[in-house]
Amino acid sequence: MRGSVLGVVVFLGGVFLPVFAQDASASISLEKCTLCHGKPEFRKLLVDGQIRDLYVTEDTLAGSVHAKKVCTECHFDVSEIPHREHPKRVTCTHCHFKGNHEGAPQSDNVLAYFDSAHGTAIARGNTKAPLCQDCHGSHRILKAKDPGSKVARTNVAETCGKCHMEIYAQFKGSIHGAALAKGIPEVPSCTGCHGEHRIYARSDPKSTVYATNVSEQCSKCHASVKIMGKFGIETEQVATYKESFHGVASQFGSRTVANCSSCHGVHDIRPPDDPLSTVNLKNIPKTCGKCHPGANPNFAVGKIHVDAKNKESGIIYWTATFFKWLTIGTMLALVAHIFLDMYGRTRRLRGER
Amino acid sequence: MSRADLAAGNVIRMSLLFRVQHLLLTVLLTVLAVTGFALMYHENSLARWIIRLEGGVHNRGITHRIAAVLLMANLVYHAFYMLLSREGKPELRQFFIGRQDIDDFLQSLRYNLGMAKEYPRFGKYGYKEKFQYWGASVGIVLISVTGIMLWAEEFSMRFFPKFILDLALVIHGYQGLLGFVLLYLWHIYNVHLHPSVFPMNPSWITGKVSAEWLRREHPLEYEKLKEEGLL
Repeated sequence: MRGSVLGVVVFLGGVFLPVFAQDASASISLEKCTLCHGKPEFRKLLVDGQIRDLYVTEDTLAGSVHAKKVCTECHFDVSEIPHREHPKRVTCTHCHFKGNHEGAPQSDNVLAYFDSAHGTAIARGNTKAPLCQDCHGSHRILKAKDPGSKVARTNVAETCGKCHMEIYAQFKGSIHGAALAKGIPEVPSCTGCHGEHRIYARSDPKSTVYATNVSEQCSKCHASVKIMGKFGIETEQVATYKESFHGVASQFGSRTVANCSSCHGVHDIRPPDDPLSTVNLKNIPKTCGKCHPGANPNFAVGKIHVDAKNKESGIIYWTATFFKWLTIGTMLALVAHIFLDMYGRTRRLRGER
Repeated sequence: MSRADLAAGNVIRMSLLFRVQHLLLTVLLTVLAVTGFALMYHENSLARWIIRLEGGVHNRGITHRIAAVLLMANLVYHAFYMLLSREGKPELRQFFIGRQDIDDFLQSLRYNLGMAKEYPRFGKYGYKEKFQYWGASVGIVLISVTGIMLWAEEFSMRFFPKFILDLALVIHGYQGLLGFVLLYLWHIYNVHLHPSVFPMNPSWITGKVSAEWLRREHPLEYEKLKEEGLL
């Protein structure tokens, strides 16, 4: 086997070298690559025991966004057969930058990526951090809108889950994960909250899930009557949170105060009637107890997202309304008293004169 | 009251200790109103500016509570002073609300509406002053209750369910607003805008008012002082 491959290579070298010499920049056609890579058993055993399949056919790129590309347009460091040096990982930035002439989408996503948690991890030398192809795939790259794409809304969680396994498991059990599995189009997957190329660590103020940005991020959907109405979920939670002590402190930059996910959970958000939910009535004392030591069942008595302007708030609404009219009434009475008093005094002075 | 003051036609209305208590009250209520309403109306751009000026919500809270503690201390001191001191006891007696005050109020209403010939004759403190005094004192006590409940929220919630604290928050805010409205429309009118004192009754700084003002606005007190030979 090995002998035959070597034989083919030597033979090819003899036949084609003059051609290379004529036009070194000319791309190597698919047929040349498949001389070796077209054999189904052409694969490599890696040091960690994994097998890297090196089998390539003309169908490999078919249907992908790069269907019209040839091998060496991405593997541009390959100019000799057999490769004298180990071919490097493909550098997508060769074409994917704003202002390119290759016909790639004009986008700055690559710059956003280099700034992101993943890109900076790569720059620091973390070999486990993902490059473009770790999320987008290598040969079968499809547009994100295509349901077969690795970064399609329905698949992206699985793609992220390749590395973020524990979080993926939590997410699958959450209300968002369950809704995603049902195929509900509005529900967020990983990228819905974390962003796509602009993913930052949650400790980074630029992150969409930074403590003071969380409520803003959740409210993108949860404040929308159009979206929430479909599922019978109230939208007032966003407004009532903003009115609460927690919400006000958060708006003025407190990073320790509770935001949505402090109480509702992060990847494991479940509806309140689920016994596993952190905001299930039985679990509220424990959840509040994270910040308020010694929280007892009293914390669960009364609506959490309370709106004094809403009749459903009961006694709180009526008290607020009572005080509102008491204040208005007092103001009117006092103003009336002032004018009467001034009028009376003028008469009194006139009488004295 | 010294002979010189009387000669100048000036009558002492607020002793130094009362002026200090009043000044404290003025400053502390202003601080409490500014910090409190900034939080209550935190969506307003002016409120946002004020909160930033105060160093964020955390420092705003600390400022509000320091002022609140000082105000409560001021009130407790005042209560003891009025109950126990030689100067306070007779003052407190003059602040008691009686049948006469209700009659005075009704008669002044009738007079102002042109239904009575005589305007009521007030002593040192008329119904306006008494209403202001008891309104402020009781108001501060009541607003302190809800304020302390909210301050010690973890302690309060050992005894009260969450909705009681929500209620306390609503009440605290509206109590503040009501107190503020009363202060502005009642006190500012009585001591600043009222034609007899405009632009200001100076007694909160100098402690003195003129004998002529006393004769017009508080004739019973004027006559009492005259009988005692002090004028």
